[in-house]
Amino acid sequence: MPADVPHVEEVGVTSAPLKSAAFFIGAYCKEYNEDFMLCKNENREPGHCLKEGRKVTRCTIDLITKMREHCLSQWDEHWNCLEKKNQEYYLCRPAERKLNACMFEKLGLTKTIPGTPTGQKPIHEVENPIYKPIQK
Amino acid sequence: MPPPGGFESVKYKRNLPLRGPGAYAILGGVTAICAYGFYRLGKGNLERRELEREKVWSRIHLVPLLTAEGDRDMYRRQQAALAREKAIMKDVPGWEAGTSVYNNPKYHTPEIVVL
Repeated sequence: MPADVPHVEEVGVTSAPLKSAAFFIGAYCKEYNEDFMLCKNENREPGHCLKEGRKVTRCTIDLITKMREHCLSQWDEHWNCLEKKNQEYYLCRPAERKLNACMFEKLGLTKTIPGTPTGQKPIHEVENPIYKPIQK
Repeated sequence: MPPPGGFESVKYKRNLPLRGPGAYAILGGVTAICAYGFYRLGKGNLERRELEREKVWSRIHLVPLLTAEGDRDMYRRQQAALAREKAIMKDVPGWEAGTSVYNNPKYHTPEIVVL
């Protein structure tokens, strides 16, 4: 890396933890993410959005450290479940509910899925869904 | 002469066992079961749409993070390639390192990748 570009640590987590934390990343780093995507919309060149990109990465690292501090056991449980269950959310609802509850309690972050029809329960809160794990 | 007590009555009634519910009952039952099945199917389709939306949004939320990481790597490679080109072509007069072969200022991902 050229010397004029400040160093930034990479996030260093694999796909399952990222998928588990995706909605919290979306909620916690909303401004930085949108900033970055608007910048990318301006110009696709990799060098154009390095500053915004660093902010995105730092924000995610910040969130991940906070999650490790506060909700480590729930997070571990959920992403291990995702790892085993083909990374499908609907197969890991009990672990996900625990993580969501912890995240709301400790960090005040909620999982919201944009575009859910109004007046309908978001899919991750449905008590008795049609699609559920066949194996208990 | 008739036997005492008279002749027994002639057996003319048909003696068939009960043959189950009638045609309309079966038709109705099948219709009801099918209707319930289609109702569940429709509900399941709506639910699957929601599950798909959840999956898509989980990926959308990760796009900036992954793109940022990829961009940094790409930028590093670009700079290295530029330095390499400059070093190789330093003896050629009038060579501009890093100019595109296309007459188009828009960015495009490089076709040649040095690993």
